[in-house]
Amino acid sequence: MSDQPAFTLNIDQNKYLPLDGREVHAILTVGSTGGVTTQVVSSEAAEVIIVDTSGSMSGGKIREARQAAATAVRTLRDGVLFAVIAGTEKAGMVYPGGSPRLVKATAATKAEAERAIGRLLAHGGTAIGEWLNLAGHMLAAHPSAIKHALLMTDGQNNESDDVFSSVLAGWSGRFVVDSLGVGDDWVPAELRKVADAMLGTFDFVRNQTDLSEYFRRLTQTSMSKTVAELSLRVWVPQTARLKFVKQVSPTLLDLTGKRADVNPLTGDYPTGSWGAEEREYHVCVEVPPGQIGQEIRAGWVKLVRPDTGDVVASGNVLAQWTDDLAQSTRINGKVAHYTGQAELHELIQDGLSARAVGDVDTATARLARARELAAETGREDTARLLEKVVEVDPATGTARLRRNVDKADEIELDTGSVRTSRLRKEGF
Amino acid sequence: MTGNEKVASCPVCEAPVLAGDIYCEACGHPMGAPTCASCGAGAVDAEGYCERCGLRQPTGRDHAETVLDNGAAAVTDRGLRRSRNEDAMALMASGDTIVAVVCDGVGSSPRADEASAVAVETAATALARGASQQEAFDLAGRAVAKLATSVYDAPACTYVAAVVEPDRITLGWAGDTRAYSLPDGGLLTEDDAIETGEITAWLGADAEGVTLHVRTFTPHAPGLLLVCSDGLWRYLDGYAFPSAGTPLEMAREMLRHALDSGGQDNVTIALIPLGEARE
Ligand SMILES: [Zn+2]
Ligand SMILES: [Zn+2]
Repeated sequence: MSDQPAFTLNIDQNKYLPLDGREVHAILTVGSTGGVTTQVVSSEAAEVIIVDTSGSMSGGKIREARQAAATAVRTLRDGVLFAVIAGTEKAGMVYPGGSPRLVKATAATKAEAERAIGRLLAHGGTAIGEWLNLAGHMLAAHPSAIKHALLMTDGQNNESDDVFSSVLAGWSGRFVVDSLGVGDDWVPAELRKVADAMLGTFDFVRNQTDLSEYFRRLTQTSMSKTVAELSLRVWVPQTARLKFVKQVSPTLLDLTGKRADVNPLTGDYPTGSWGAEEREYHVCVEVPPGQIGQEIRAGWVKLVRPDTGDVVASGNVLAQWTDDLAQSTRINGKVAHYTGQAELHELIQDGLSARAVGDVDTATARLARARELAAETGREDTARLLEKVVEVDPATGTARLRRNVDKADEIELDTGSVRTSRLRKEGF
Repeated sequence: MTGNEKVASCPVCEAPVLAGDIYCEACGHPMGAPTCASCGAGAVDAEGYCERCGLRQPTGRDHAETVLDNGAAAVTDRGLRRSRNEDAMALMASGDTIVAVVCDGVGSSPRADEASAVAVETAATALARGASQQEAFDLAGRAVAKLATSVYDAPACTYVAAVVEPDRITLGWAGDTRAYSLPDGGLLTEDDAIETGEITAWLGADAEGVTLHVRTFTPHAPGLLLVCSDGLWRYLDGYAFPSAGTPLEMAREMLRHALDSGGQDNVTIALIPLGEARE
C-alpha cells in the first residue's frame, strides 16, 4: 500500500422492494484515512480569514474578534497561503496590505498579520457578499490549492437578497466557507445560505469569549484537509429519476441542486475537500416498476477527483422486487435514522419560520411535533431547546408557544438543527 | 464529414454516433457491448449490469441442463423469486458409475453461489476418481471454507452426493438437500434441520461439528434415483411424479411443477436410472 489517502464507500440499504415499490433509499458512508500523498503535498492550502468589523462589533466584540483572528493566524501551518479581510459594507485587506493577494505563512508574516489584526476597529455596515467576492478572487489565483475561508459576523447582512444570492451562486463549489455567528443579532438563514452554497458549516458562538477556540478549531480542521476536492458521481438507469442526494452527517446539506451533468445518465455532486474523516450521504432513486425476482442496479456511485477523473471508491445501489413482505418491509437502520433526523430539521425550520411570520397554529404544531420527535430519537439537547420555545400541557397534551423566548436559545435551536447524531452500532 | 458516414444512436443515452465511432461522445459508452436481456440495449458492462436500464443480466447458470449417455439427466433453474441461482449440480459418468452432486447455497451467507459451485466441482471430481463419500465431503468442505475471509464472511451451502454403481448406491449428505427413490417416492435421506425448517448442518468456514450422513444400499427394483434441492421438494406434498418419458423430460416436468407452484427458490433436479432401467 502506498501512502495515498484511502477512501472507502459503504452502502447501507434494504434492496428489496414490494411489487409496487418505486423508491430506493441508500446511505453511503464515505471514509478517508487522510494519509498524505506525494501529489497532495504539492497541492497547497489557502486560507482567507474574514472578520466582521462593522459598527455593531464595537466594544468587547471587536476585542474578541481580534483575538480570534490572531488565534486563527497562529494555527496556520507554515507554508500555507493566507490573507485576512476586514468586512464592513466593503471588504478591506487587513493583511497583507496593498493589492489583494495571498502570502505564505512564516513566523514573520504571521507576526505581521497579528499586528495588523490588533489595529482593527469597528465601524460601518455589513455586506457578506462583498467579503466573499474578495476572498474568492484571491483564492482563484491558486487553482490547485485546497481553498478555504473562515467567516465571522455578528450582524445582519445589508445587501439585497438578489445581490447576495448571485454572489453565492457565482462562487458555489469553488471554495469552502465555514461561518460563525456571534451574539444574538445575526440571522441564521443568511449563514445557512453561505454554508449550503459553499459546502461548509455554520455555527453559533454563544459566548464571545469562546470565539478564539472556534477559530482555532476550524482553522485546524481546514489545515488537516489533504484532498482538494472530490465529487460524488451518480449514475441512474435511463428509466429512473434521482430524487435527491444529501449529505446527512456530520451535518445536513442538500446537494441535489448542485448537480453538474457528466452525461445524460450521470451527474457529479461536489463534496468539498477531505481530510481524515467520515461523512454520510443519503441517495434516493425513483425506479420504474419491476417484476418479481428482477434485480437492477438502481444507482452506481463513484467518488471521483474532478481534476483527474480518478475513481477513488465506488459502490452499487441495488433494487430487487419481491412479494415477500418480510423482505420488503425490513427497514434499514441507517436509512430510518437519517430520515428521522432530516424530518426533525424540517419541522424545526418550518416551525421557526411560521413563528417568525406570526402563523401561530403552524408554528405550534410543527414545533410540538419536533419536540416529540427529538425526545423519541434521543436528541436530548434539541428537545431541551424546543422546550424553551413550545410548551405542552402534560394533562391535556395541548401545545402552545412560549411568549418570552431567549433570542440566543432560538438561534441555537435554529443553527443546531442541521447537526445530526451518528447511529450507534446497537441502534440497528 | 464524408458522405458515407452512417449515423446510429448510442444504446445507452440515444445520442447520435457515427458508424466508425468506438465510444459514444455524449456518455462514453463503448460501442459493441453485449445486449441487455430486458431493454435490448447493447450496453451490458463487465459487472453484468445493463448501462441503460440497470438490469442485472441472467447468467448461464440461471437455467442449465445436463444429460449423460445412459439417460441420466439433471436440470437447475433460478426459479421465479431469486435474482440468481445459488444451487449447483454436477452429473458425471466414470465407467459404469454415475456420480451426482447437488448443493444449495445458504441464502443468508455471502456469495453462496460460489460455495455451491466449488463444492459440487470438488466433490464430484473426487467421487469420480473413486474417493470415498467421506473423503469427497472433506475436500469439498475445505474448498468452501477457503472462500471465507472470516467466520463472519463465510459462504456456505448444503450438500448431497450420490454414487450409483450397477449393484450399489451410496448417498452422502449434510443439510436439507435430498434423495428419493422413484417411482414410489420414498425419501432416502434425513434433513439436518429443526422443526421451523432452519438447517443445522452445512459446508462453510462457520460450520461446527458437521458430520456427513452416509447410507449404502442395493436397488431392488428398476426405477430412478432423484437427487434434488428444496426448491423442488417443498412442492412434493401430494405430487404425482411423472411416470413416462426420458429422465430429462421427467426432470423438466418436475421443474415446471415447481415453477407452477410458485418457484420460490432455486430448483435443482437430477434423475439417475436404476436397476434394469439402466441401459
Ligand atoms: Zn451515449
Ligand atoms: Zn437494459
